[in-house]
Amino acid sequence: MIQLKDVSYVRLGSPDLESAETFATSCLGLEIAERGKKTLYLRSDDRAHTLCYSEGDPSQQTVGFEIEDEDDLQKAAATLEALDHPVHVGSADEAEQRKVKAFIGFRDPTGNHIELVVRPERRGRRYFATRDAGITGFSHIGLNSTDPVRDERFWTQVCNARVSDRIGDIPLMRVNAIHHTIALVRAPAAGIQHINHQVESNDDVLRSYYFLNEKRVPIVFGPGRHPTSGARFLYFKGPDDMIFEYSVGVDEIEDEATHRPRQFGFEPSSFCMWGARPAGMTLPDGNS
Amino acid sequence: MTCAVAPLVASISYVRVAVHDLDAAARFASEAFGLQRVAEHDGEIAFRSDDRFRTLSLIAASAGASSIGVEIQDEATLERLALELDAAGFPVRAASSEECVGRYVEAAAIAQDGSGNTIDLVVRPHHSGRRYFPSRDAGIVRFHGAALRTTDHRRDLAFWTMLGARVSDWVGDIAYLQIDEWHHRIALYPAKRNGLLYAAFEVEALDQIMQNSYFMQERQIKILQGPGRQSASQQIFLHVQGPDGIIFSYVNGMAALGGKPRLARQFPRTTESLCNWGSVSNDVPELSAESA
Repeated sequence: MIQLKDVSYVRLGSPDLESAETFATSCLGLEIAERGKKTLYLRSDDRAHTLCYSEGDPSQQTVGFEIEDEDDLQKAAATLEALDHPVHVGSADEAEQRKVKAFIGFRDPTGNHIELVVRPERRGRRYFATRDAGITGFSHIGLNSTDPVRDERFWTQVCNARVSDRIGDIPLMRVNAIHHTIALVRAPAAGIQHINHQVESNDDVLRSYYFLNEKRVPIVFGPGRHPTSGARFLYFKGPDDMIFEYSVGVDEIEDEATHRPRQFGFEPSSFCMWGARPAGMTLPDGNS
Repeated sequence: MTCAVAPLVASISYVRVAVHDLDAAARFASEAFGLQRVAEHDGEIAFRSDDRFRTLSLIAASAGASSIGVEIQDEATLERLALELDAAGFPVRAASSEECVGRYVEAAAIAQDGSGNTIDLVVRPHHSGRRYFPSRDAGIVRFHGAALRTTDHRRDLAFWTMLGARVSDWVGDIAYLQIDEWHHRIALYPAKRNGLLYAAFEVEALDQIMQNSYFMQERQIKILQGPGRQSASQQIFLHVQGPDGIIFSYVNGMAALGGKPRLARQFPRTTESLCNWGSVSNDVPELSAESA
């Protein structure tokens, strides 16, 4: 079984790095770690980077997960190949671009581009943004799935993900104590549905709501509260229509051994207990 | 000044709100805002929000002006206070027994502050043996306090100071008045006219502030400001507009002021001072950054 430790980074293609940079720094509140000719590395916590834009097609979307060591990386490659998932072993150059020691790439059953990485770099200097959004770190992703039941099997049986809760057939899965690191979302094609950053407090969620409204950033869902994880959230749209989320107060699963996933009905109040309705963002279809 | 003597004011007991359309206001108070309608007496409709018999009364505008009920320690204090207010030039008179019945109190004096706002000084306001049970789950736990419009804030401050209140903080000339351990129960907002600005009802948590915000939006009931958070008191608020221009507010999370008395802090009258989340009020000049 592939032991995922945490989500590590997201890599996005974008035709317009300048807009991506403006949004990341003046709206989202990330710190520029490094600006190349065709790349932009962004920080959100003590890691060297958690988001990387490179000049290209916005459909190029990759999510990286950290695993224990290079031994595990080799075992993971063997496991995936045995299951007919072609594996790309990252070159030294490619590893350097990702600021990791080593990595492999593959596609999940839906076709999402996934990377498993070893020893992603940290930085000695703390994250310090140009806008005070209260970000404490990159935390999870929403991942498109053309078949959530099949993909849940992949993430929980080939990998070590555990289902924390379900809304309809949509699983919220954890790879550590945090309620979820991967939220599957039913969609017609592969892709990252949203990118979550945690913030310090409720105040930050509400402040950003008014701030982003004033900046005319489309708010697509929230401010709200997920009854599943307990998190207070705000979803908004960034460059290339990528959805970003701030949230605070995500539950931790206290007892790994006895936790049973709760079933929530597929209805608006399962996504927001305050009564927020999504606008300009489709909720995953929970029926298979 | 420090609060060396025992405060004369025990609590803010109720608001009586004068409206032109009693039925519309009553429907708003119970069905939309979530208070429990408990009694009707002599054209006044009473509503509960906690274990007190009532904390809101709606009265016909033709029957008088809005007032705030302030609970005074005991009858001896009430008598002394009435004499002191009179000596300081504030209109004050003993309430008739009929007025006491209508106010659900055992004794009262009816006073006016410097702006002409009616303040009922009451003793032994009625409580109820039955628990509060509203018709909808708005999460209200108690009546918290009220804000007054003031046209003469120096005189009004003198009035409240005689009642034992002290200023906990200033935003411009908006004064937050402390009477117990909480940052404020009364707020005085400079205005072009007198009257009640809002009545504040405390809810359980941020969840209920936000649920009520979406509840109002879905019913197209106007939110005048919020969800927001007062910078000085840390109180989260949602100001909702009812019929006749009345404002009822859901509040939660006000800071308690323990320990040594401190000087009132001065905040400039800016958007950030009034709401540190960034909410603004475009319709109510008293609540906005530009002073009324």
